Amino acid sequence: MPLAKRWAQQIRSLPERRYPMRRVFRIPFSARVEREVDDELAFHLEMRTQRLIAAGMPPDVARREALRQFGDIASVRQDCVTMDEQRERATRRAFEMAEFQQDLVYALRTLRRNVGFTAVVVFALALGIGANTAIFTLINAVMVRTIPVADPGALVAIGNPVRVSSLSQGGPRTDLLSYPLYKDLRDKNHVFTGLLATGRTGRLDVRIDGNSELEHPQGRFVSGNYFAVLGVKPVVGRAFTEADDDVIGNAPIAVISHGYWTRRFHNDHAVVGRQIVVNGARVTIVGVMPPRFTGEIVGADRDVWLPLSLQHAVQPNQRMLDDRLSSFLLALGRLKPGATIEQARQEVTALIRESVVANAVGSSGKDFLASSPTYFVSDGSKGFSRVRTTFQAPLFTLMIGVALLLCIICANVANLLLARSIARGREMAVRLALGANRARLVRQLLTEGLILAALGGATGLLVAWWGSHALVALGGGSSTGLDLGMDLWVLVFTLGVCCASVLLFGLVPALRASRVDLATTMRANAHSVSGGALGHRGQRAPLGRLLIAGQVALSVVLLVGAGMLVRSLRHIEKTDLGMDRDHLVILDVDARGRGYVGPRTGALARSLRERLSAIPGVAAVAYSMNGIFSGSESQTTVQVPGFTPRTPNDSVINFDEVGPGYFNTIGGHMLDGRDMASSDEGNLARVAVVNEALAKFYFPGQRAVGRSFSFADSVSIQIIGVAADTREHSLSGVPTRRAYFPYVHRDTMVGLPGSLHFEIRTRGEPTAVVQAIRAAVVSVDPALPIDGLDPVVSLLRQSLGAERLLARLATGFGALALLLAAIGLYGVMTYAITRRTGEIGLRVALGARRADVINLVLADALRVVAAGVVVGLPLAIATARLLRSQLHGVETVDPLSIAAAIAVLSASAIVAVLMPALRASRVSPIVALRTD
Amino acid sequence: MLDRDGGLLRGTLDVLILKALSWGPRHGYAVAEWIKIVTDEELLVEEGPLYTALHRLEKNGWLVAEWGYSENNRRAKYYQLSRTGRQQLRAEVTSWERYSRAVGKALGAADPLTT
Repeated sequence: MPLAKRWAQQIRSLPERRYPMRRVFRIPFSARVEREVDDELAFHLEMRTQRLIAAGMPPDVARREALRQFGDIASVRQDCVTMDEQRERATRRAFEMAEFQQDLVYALRTLRRNVGFTAVVVFALALGIGANTAIFTLINAVMVRTIPVADPGALVAIGNPVRVSSLSQGGPRTDLLSYPLYKDLRDKNHVFTGLLATGRTGRLDVRIDGNSELEHPQGRFVSGNYFAVLGVKPVVGRAFTEADDDVIGNAPIAVISHGYWTRRFHNDHAVVGRQIVVNGARVTIVGVMPPRFTGEIVGADRDVWLPLSLQHAVQPNQRMLDDRLSSFLLALGRLKPGATIEQARQEVTALIRESVVANAVGSSGKDFLASSPTYFVSDGSKGFSRVRTTFQAPLFTLMIGVALLLCIICANVANLLLARSIARGREMAVRLALGANRARLVRQLLTEGLILAALGGATGLLVAWWGSHALVALGGGSSTGLDLGMDLWVLVFTLGVCCASVLLFGLVPALRASRVDLATTMRANAHSVSGGALGHRGQRAPLGRLLIAGQVALSVVLLVGAGMLVRSLRHIEKTDLGMDRDHLVILDVDARGRGYVGPRTGALARSLRERLSAIPGVAAVAYSMNGIFSGSESQTTVQVPGFTPRTPNDSVINFDEVGPGYFNTIGGHMLDGRDMASSDEGNLARVAVVNEALAKFYFPGQRAVGRSFSFADSVSIQIIGVAADTREHSLSGVPTRRAYFPYVHRDTMVGLPGSLHFEIRTRGEPTAVVQAIRAAVVSVDPALPIDGLDPVVSLLRQSLGAERLLARLATGFGALALLLAAIGLYGVMTYAITRRTGEIGLRVALGARRADVINLVLADALRVVAAGVVVGLPLAIATARLLRSQLHGVETVDPLSIAAAIAVLSASAIVAVLMPALRASRVSPIVALRTD
Repeated sequence: MLDRDGGLLRGTLDVLILKALSWGPRHGYAVAEWIKIVTDEELLVEEGPLYTALHRLEKNGWLVAEWGYSENNRRAKYYQLSRTGRQQLRAEVTSWERYSRAVGKALGAADPLTT
């Protein structure tokens, strides 16, 4: 064996002392690098050995001496191999970078040459990516983002985050706090560095000094430490301090938001010190908050913050600061370092219990505790929000919808690219012939796809910005309460979507384009009969048809989904309310705000009722506290003799306070006993009408009329009538237990009725009497504010805002999907027909009629659609199962929606291929065969 | 400068290699022999570290390597200077001359010059 080889063998057999793991992670060129190092070192040792032999040493001694002179050959070999590998890696990386740059430049040039094509693709991608980003932005803003305060992760929310504008009177609650209870928590806890409270202000009537026009900015009552606990500093003036909350009424000040400052005060720094009149009380503005801070409520606009100590001045008819029975506050506490939310929960629970027991009147405290209430103590980093729960499910549904839309758009783009790649066949063939390998071609085409996706993504961000704002407006919300700005997650999401799109629409065309048969493509004519009919390897452009089938499948999902959502909406809208919904108008007046209190409210109610009944076209009038679909509801706990509650919820009932003839007016149906009458009103009223649900629940199998139940303070109420269930506040779910007390009663039960609604039943169209109603109100009291005057049907529609938006959007997506599928089908069919021109010409020459050719094309198209439908139906059913919670009254397998979807798809397909089919039928056999 | 074992410190070895290749491509063995001969065997170059240095210089981009055939028709790896290698050699020579002049001045001083 030659000396060098022997040396090489010996070196290679040396143990890899230092890098044993390298044996596992062998890099491709590692073998070659090692071999070269071995050869080099072997060469050196051989030369040295020869020299020593020539100097007279015997061969084996010479070899040993050469080795000795070299030194530690094993570690030298290691080091050399490592360094060579690094060098190779660096060289390769540089090479790849250069190649990528080349690809980029070439791709940009190619795209610029076909500006039209590029524009269409970028536009389509922008639509798809933008829609996805828009929905994600909304999800991010409503559900993921934390409120813009210092260290939101340390905040703990006390109270139910949904109840941002709630007011409860009548007893301690687990989801809201009263002001005295809040103070107990604030002063006695050891787990928070600060505990703030916020509560609703209701509608504020504000006059800016010097301006006599009434405004209604969005206000919120907050504790003095609100801004300090949140860690937000004013940009002008000062924020509230704890001293502002100390004594009731000693701080007639306000802090305004940046948006309000810009809108109403034009960024005037002299706003500090200006006085405004809020509900008749003079208040001085002391500070302005930074931009983008709208408080602790997500999705709600905020203009003005008022200290809680001002509540009595601003709402003189509803003083709640000393009342342990009025709960209207939610609290946010900042945890001390090291404290956990669990500790907070335990301490809050203990403190509330302690406070309730210490201050309870009669047995109400024990009863409350006996029902083992669980308190709402949760993570506060996302603040409070009412929109979160309403829009959570619709948003996720939309997310699925736009994802499907993007897939369809990508399929279209893929088809477009495929079509173009056929045209570029010669270019690919030339490059292959010049020595490029397939991988390089694929990489280059993918780079084009990447640029398209990048451009589409960048434009998509604009689409997303516009789209998210538009969606919020459509949904009836205000976009200033939501932070729809771009943040890291949105960008990451967009990037991810772009990459996914490239893979979806770029990979297959790239692979296809690079698989070019050199011989056939280089030939000048590629339209021979055989070539046209058989295409590549005997197939008829299968990829394009596959993509269309895929598009059809996804469109089926969208269409069926849209159909189901629309049907679900119809179903909800048609839900029987148990009343004469088409002839009811609800009038909402702010009696308390105007100063009516106690018996004066009753007198107002009666006189207004008289005046309204006198309007021609009005059949009957009644009044109530909570109205119908007016956004407020009341609850209380009751004790029913002979009934043992199993859970605390069993003792809870909804209630309303109604005037005489209520059920008759609204078109309700009395099942037993009688309606509310004028004789029931008055200080000694101790009667109630209950609904069927309540009667069946508490008195199963017995006659409820004549029985009684009682409240916390042991007032016993007798049931005088049972009414059929009506839906006064919600369209979904089972009708809740409801009791109806007389509106005018002694104020021992649950406090004075604050709101006053009138239910006006009309003989004809409700809208016809609206003006007359307004005039009637003015004639009784010109200064009585009208908070609402709407027919029940439009109130219904408002309450279904989210569902209606969803149905509308789903229909829009379905239509868009249909359009895209139709366009795609048109394109693919046109191409297929062009390739089959020869075959068609042959058929015509052999006797086929025009109708036969048209049928041929149509059948082909419908085959593709059928394939898509077959794949899409199971997907649609699966998606429907996901959306189960959103679908009311619609089965997950809804034959109507499915049939409609298939019909619409087939119709669109036929329309789409009509033109190509007609064109094909006019092919002259001579022209067709001549190209062979 | 020499370390305790009479060998060379890394920086010096590098500049010697660069110089060795300044006349044209050579393989590693030839470089080793050149250094031995030209310094009259006063500098002991360990052959192992020499190869480590050669590979390191190649990684740094100062040398480029090519496989060729030696005088006795064996496959050998030939190194030669790259453009940056030549620049590096010039820079190193200049700074070495400056250094040795300075040290020489200090060592040849006759005056204690205590201040």
